[in-house]
Amino acid sequence: MIAVLALIAGVAVGIWWEPTVPLALQPYLPIAVVAALDAVFGGIRARLDGIFDDKQFVISFISNVLVAALIVYLGDQLGVGGQLSTGVVVVLGVRIFGNVAAIRRHMFRA
Amino acid sequence: MSTANPPNPPNPDGDGRRRVFAPDFLTELFRNPLDPAYADAAARRRERGPAPGGWRAPLTRAITAVTLAAIGLLFVVAYRHALADEPSRSQARAGLVTQINDRRTSTERLRSQADGLREDVARLRDAALDQTEATRLREMEAATGLAKVHGDGVVVRLGDAPTAVDAVTGQRNGESLGRVLDRDLQDVANALWASGAEAISINGQRLTSTSTVRTAGGAILVDFQPVTSPYDVTAIGPDDLGGRFAGTDAARLFRALAGQYGMTFQLRDANNVTLPAAIAPQLRYAAPATSETPGPNASQPTPSTTPSGGGR
Repeated sequence: MIAVLALIAGVAVGIWWEPTVPLALQPYLPIAVVAALDAVFGGIRARLDGIFDDKQFVISFISNVLVAALIVYLGDQLGVGGQLSTGVVVVLGVRIFGNVAAIRRHMFRA
Repeated sequence: MSTANPPNPPNPDGDGRRRVFAPDFLTELFRNPLDPAYADAAARRRERGPAPGGWRAPLTRAITAVTLAAIGLLFVVAYRHALADEPSRSQARAGLVTQINDRRTSTERLRSQADGLREDVARLRDAALDQTEATRLREMEAATGLAKVHGDGVVVRLGDAPTAVDAVTGQRNGESLGRVLDRDLQDVANALWASGAEAISINGQRLTSTSTVRTAGGAILVDFQPVTSPYDVTAIGPDDLGGRFAGTDAARLFRALAGQYGMTFQLRDANNVTLPAAIAPQLRYAAPATSETPGPNASQPTPSTTPSGGGR
C-alpha cells in the first residue's frame, strides 16, 4: 500500500515539477526505465511469492540502473553504439516477461 | 532445456551454500527470472528468524518508498521526454502539409477567379471592338496560348516505369532509370510543335512561348505548377499530327525507352479536346496607359502588347 502510494507520489511530483533531463543523461533514460520496470516487476512478484525484502528491492533497483547505465556508457565509448544496450534490453526484457508471467499465475491462477 | 544437474536445479531456496550454477546463463534466466537475491534473503530470514525489528524496519520501509517515488518520477520523465521528442517532428510536418494544401486551394480559387475575370474582359473587349479586329485578336490569343481552345488532336502519354522493389527489404529503389525527366517532356513538346501542333498542354497546363518545363527536387514543374506521372501531353493540330509526331526522333527515342526500361509511351488521337488558357504573363516593364490617348501606341513608346521579361 505504501509502495503504491509512493509510486503515485513520484508520478505526481514528476507531473508537477516537470524536470528536464540534461542532455548528457538522455541516452541513459530508456535503459533506466527498463531497469526500473525490471525492479518493480521483480518486487511485485517477490511480494506475491511472500519473499519481498525492502533491502533487496532497493539494491536491485540501484544496481540495475547503474549496471545498465555503465553498459550504455561502455558501448558509447567502444563505438559499438546501441548493440551493448540491446543486450541489456534483452536480459531485462526476459526477466520482466518471466516475472509478469509469474504475477499473472499468482493473480489469476492460470 | 535440461541442465546438467536435473535433480539439483539452481534454486537457492533449498540450500544456500550448495548452489549449483547452471552452465547456461540464458536457461537460468528463462527458468528463474526473479532476482535470486530475494530467495537468498528469504532463506536467510528463515535461518535467523524474522526481519530485524527496532528502528531499522521503518527506515528500510522509507527507503523503499523513496526508491519507488524515484521510479515513478523516472517513468514520468521518460514519458514526457518521449512525448516531447516525437510529436514536435510530426507536428511540424503536419503543419507544413496543411499549409501547402491551404495555399494550393487558395491558388486554385484565385486562378478560377482570374479565369472568370479574363472571360469577362474578353467579352467586353469583343463588344467594344469591331468584328474583324475582335476575330483577329481571338486568333492571336488562341495562337499564343492566352485563350481556351478546342479541336481535334493527339494525346501523348508518358509514364514513369514502375520502380523496382527490393525483394528482401520491400523498399522501393529510388534511383530508377525509367523516370520521365523534364528533358523528356521538353522533347515531346518540341517534337509536337515541330509536327504542326497549334496548342499544347501538359497535364492541363497550357504551354506558351514563355513556358518552362523543369525539374525541382523530385517533381517536374510546368510553369511552376507541379505535374506528376503519368504525363498527358495533349496537342491540337492538323489531322496528320499523330502520324508526323510518330515519325520524329523523340517518338522513336521513347519507343526505345519504353521497350528498354518499361516506361509508358502511348500515342492516341483525341477528338474535340479543350485546352485551358495559360496563365497570363505578368507585365514587368510595360504599364497600362492611364491617360486617354487617341491611338493605342501613339504616345506610349513602351510596347504594351508583347509580354516582356522572358521569365514568365
